[in-house]
Amino acid sequence: MLDKFVNGIETYLFRHRAFVIFLFILTTFFLGLQASNLKMDAAFVKNIPLNHSYMKTYLKHQKQFGGANSIMVAVEDTSGNIFNANFFDSLKNVHDQLFFIPGVDRAQVKSLFSPSTRFTEVVEDGFAGGPVIPADFTTTEQGLSIVRGNIEKAGIVGRLIAEDYSAAMVSAQLMDFDPQTGEALDTLAFAEQLEQELRAQYETDDIKIHIIGFAKMAGDVAEGAKGVLLFFLIAILVTAVMVYFFSKSIVLTILPLVCSLTAVIWQLGLLTVVGFGLDPMSILIPFLVFAIGVSHSVQMINAVKRRVTDGQSTKAAAALAFRSLLIPGGVALLSDTIGFMTLLAIDIGIIRELAISASLGVAVIILTNLVLLPLVISYTQVQPQKNTAPVKENNIWVKLSKFATPKYAIWVLLITAGLYAVGLQQANQMKIGDLQGGAPALHLDSRYNQDTFFITDKFSITTDVMTIIVEAFPEACTYHSVLTQIDEFEWQVSNTEGVESTASLASVAKRVNAGFNEGNPKWQVLPRNTASLVQAVGRVPTTSGLLNSDCSVMPVYLFLKDHKAETIEVVIDKVNELQQQMNNEQLTFKLASGPVGVMAATNEAVAEAQLPMMLYVYGAVFVLCLISFRSLRATIAVILPLYVVSTLAQALMTQLDIGLAVSTLPVIALGVGIGVDYGIYILSTMAVRLRDGMPVQQAYYEALVERGSAVIFTGLTLAIGVSTWFFSALKFQMDMGILLTFMFLVNMLGAIIILPAITAVFWRQPK
Amino acid sequence: MSFSMLRFISVLSVASIFNSSAVLAQENKLEQQIQPLAAHSLVLDIAQSGHTLVAVGERGHAFIYDNQWQQVATPTVAQLTKAFFISETKGWAVGHDATILHTEDGGKTWQLQMQSAEVDKPFLDLLFFDENNGIAIGAYGLFYRTTDGGNNWISEYHQELLFEEDVAYLEELKAEDEALYLSERSTLLPHFNRVIPLTNGQLIMVGELGLVAVSSDKGHHWQKQNFPYEGSLFNASEVGDIVYVMGLRGHLFKSQIQLAQWQEVMLPVDSTINAGVAIDDSTLRIVGNAGVVIDVTAQGNATLVEQRQGENLVAIAKDTAGALWVAGNKGLIKLEQK
Repeated sequence: MLDKFVNGIETYLFRHRAFVIFLFILTTFFLGLQASNLKMDAAFVKNIPLNHSYMKTYLKHQKQFGGANSIMVAVEDTSGNIFNANFFDSLKNVHDQLFFIPGVDRAQVKSLFSPSTRFTEVVEDGFAGGPVIPADFTTTEQGLSIVRGNIEKAGIVGRLIAEDYSAAMVSAQLMDFDPQTGEALDTLAFAEQLEQELRAQYETDDIKIHIIGFAKMAGDVAEGAKGVLLFFLIAILVTAVMVYFFSKSIVLTILPLVCSLTAVIWQLGLLTVVGFGLDPMSILIPFLVFAIGVSHSVQMINAVKRRVTDGQSTKAAAALAFRSLLIPGGVALLSDTIGFMTLLAIDIGIIRELAISASLGVAVIILTNLVLLPLVISYTQVQPQKNTAPVKENNIWVKLSKFATPKYAIWVLLITAGLYAVGLQQANQMKIGDLQGGAPALHLDSRYNQDTFFITDKFSITTDVMTIIVEAFPEACTYHSVLTQIDEFEWQVSNTEGVESTASLASVAKRVNAGFNEGNPKWQVLPRNTASLVQAVGRVPTTSGLLNSDCSVMPVYLFLKDHKAETIEVVIDKVNELQQQMNNEQLTFKLASGPVGVMAATNEAVAEAQLPMMLYVYGAVFVLCLISFRSLRATIAVILPLYVVSTLAQALMTQLDIGLAVSTLPVIALGVGIGVDYGIYILSTMAVRLRDGMPVQQAYYEALVERGSAVIFTGLTLAIGVSTWFFSALKFQMDMGILLTFMFLVNMLGAIIILPAITAVFWRQPK
Repeated sequence: MSFSMLRFISVLSVASIFNSSAVLAQENKLEQQIQPLAAHSLVLDIAQSGHTLVAVGERGHAFIYDNQWQQVATPTVAQLTKAFFISETKGWAVGHDATILHTEDGGKTWQLQMQSAEVDKPFLDLLFFDENNGIAIGAYGLFYRTTDGGNNWISEYHQELLFEEDVAYLEELKAEDEALYLSERSTLLPHFNRVIPLTNGQLIMVGELGLVAVSSDKGHHWQKQNFPYEGSLFNASEVGDIVYVMGLRGHLFKSQIQLAQWQEVMLPVDSTINAGVAIDDSTLRIVGNAGVVIDVTAQGNATLVEQRQGENLVAIAKDTAGALWVAGNKGLIKLEQK
């Protein structure tokens, strides 16, 4: 019935081939226009699992306490001493400039020049204090020495001033949505403004500008992602050369490339149509679409050529090739699509985008490369293959076909089992999260990471902040018992491995209380007396981020030594333990905000998503194979090698210190979804023959002759397409490139070595 | 895939353990714990105990020095401000919530002798004359005495240290409003910050608002001195025959042991000075807020030895090997010889 249906389509399409091709051209034109409107897009919220409980806490309090989306600009004086007129002028300019960049929350811009930067000192009759930079400040020697004294009294060294006085900080919080228009912040435009209006304008030989924060990182990532265009061109060139060697025909080289590029145009156009931009992470999808397109095209030209060589006309050959490939090709592409769709189950915006853009792209290939390509080929004149190569080729196929004999199959399976055992042991040690310091998306020597290292080195600031939100009741901070609990919590957490320092209203109130008692450290306690407590807490402004306006919410800031998954896990475990002990109806300690809170949630979401994602991908592939082969044996023969290879890929991640992260999580799904193609192509040819009672080795030999070269070629094309990413400026693209190259190559080997060995066992002939 | 499944199963079982422990851990009473950072958090005093040193600090932390500082458990989380040993084994520590702890084994174990959150005043110093007789002093004229080694502590009120105008005010109030009289009475005395015995057998006590008082009868009666400075004094020291008192904003005064006339020693800093120790027969080393470490000679010359960034130094002591230890907001730190 299915055959009849395919025949029907074939007859219809080939009868109206000119019109169909015209429709394709029209669509390509339309989608090409759309694609030209495609914008780079990187929003903070896309990268986080919004429904994770930590992120709900984060979003709930984001407005009050700023969230994880902050920006820090360190202005460095290369002489190593900031106390000169030139530096203070530059610092003021940077402060003012940052203040006015749209998207900055002006209430939260902090630097020496912000009015909230004040000092207090204890004198005989109480306190004296004022702004660190006095109203009548001039950049004279005397003015600077006053400021220097105030800086020391204000206790801002390490926060707003570098510990060695070589730099000063301007920090700001960003608003994810414009409060007036409700429009989302254009992170990339913002990053560009930072680069143009701060660094380009104020960086000189004497003054260096170091900028860090998510927005800047996203900007640098987008910048790095532009290098991808070059990789794309290289991939096209190398692929073209390979296709030419394979087809020995210029026409048959150009057509697959054109059809595959058409698929890419459609995919990009459709992205705009569904309202997406191109994220630095999903910029890799066009490569995949192109490579998958080419590999299916190669199957197509292979089929056409064989039939032309058999003496048929090009048009008839194209029609026959279409008929024979629509089902296996369609099933393969459909399983890719469904494999990608399973990524939708993961609650991280960017992975969902990746899922949608990848499945769109692959679905499009069904049209462009399984339908359009044979139609276009039918207009050309394909030359029959000369009979020189087959002899040599056949020799290889004969040798390869031995894998389908029980004698060799045993060895293959034993070795596979051994590899699997070793791989599984390694895969079990796979780490979750980012394993290196700095921004994991970028290389260690990138400007951004160098800036990060400068700032964390010179200031007692770390970007690895996790915030625990303490939710209580209105006016809670006037209760000794409440602050004591927070103080105890903070103390216990600060004694956890990986926590460098902490801050909370409780610990600040203790120091303020000492201040009210003539700066005597013996009074650094939380006073039991409500009046004294209120006096101490009252000195802490809400702009400090330590409390909200009615002090019903008081965050505890944890500054961690890094953001490696193990570090985060230890801290989270400790917090969980304390939550069990300390949370009650009045007071709850809630995980988590701050950049590391976000990472913790992401790590947990990624770790949790891994198993379901694998189940869905394998489930989808399993069902599709079952439908197309109508045989459990065949399905297992296709899936088993895939499973071994994905385990090996995880082992590779352990070996190369690549953590399971938002960027690497989808790789295995992609690898499985695409890797299954090889098995489907080979086994679909074998299955018919096995059903007719042909011996396994013979069936495998004929499958190799029919599709072997195309399968090997496909593996190589795909691997080349993604291997250009090794040279990406972005660390995560490099990781993805390595893993995908591995998956594509090794899955191909699995399909031509392990798969026949399994079939040899499953379809064992009685002797 | 199977490994992920294993992980999944183990997550399930861990979750159920958590649920059961949640039921058990409802009550949350603060209990002191031995923590790695304790010796690096706020430490307020270092006391000599025979051949070794004992330190106390925030959250009821106590430490014994034996080649390195070892935290020992105490029965309180109240901040401890001062420790004193009358012998190698017998000692006391005092602190906030009117806490008094006692040890019989050189600081290894501690028992609570007194604690009262209601008093709501910290003890700031203590002094024992022998194993039975001692006094503990603190904020707002807090003054307790024991005659039985601390089994009983009895409050004393040293009216003689009230300011004259306050005496008159209290007399008036006593007649009008008994309750208000009592509450005012308990807050009108200045903070008693430090009491030390002098080699001539007298006691000297310093405190808030330029308080310098002398007693010849183990603190039963005090004689307030005329003092040229009205800021708080936090500590006193005797080196050779010279008595020093020190306090707010870099103020240091010296006098002959008769305490007839006080003379100011000019310091190179204006940070509060918290403590001092004799490093030889004639030199006093003082430490204070903003990390200042200063040497003062008998002639009254002061030199800044070092200034430790971001530290407030509250105590200084010499161990048996002659090394100097300071305590403060960064914990216990050995001073490098300079």
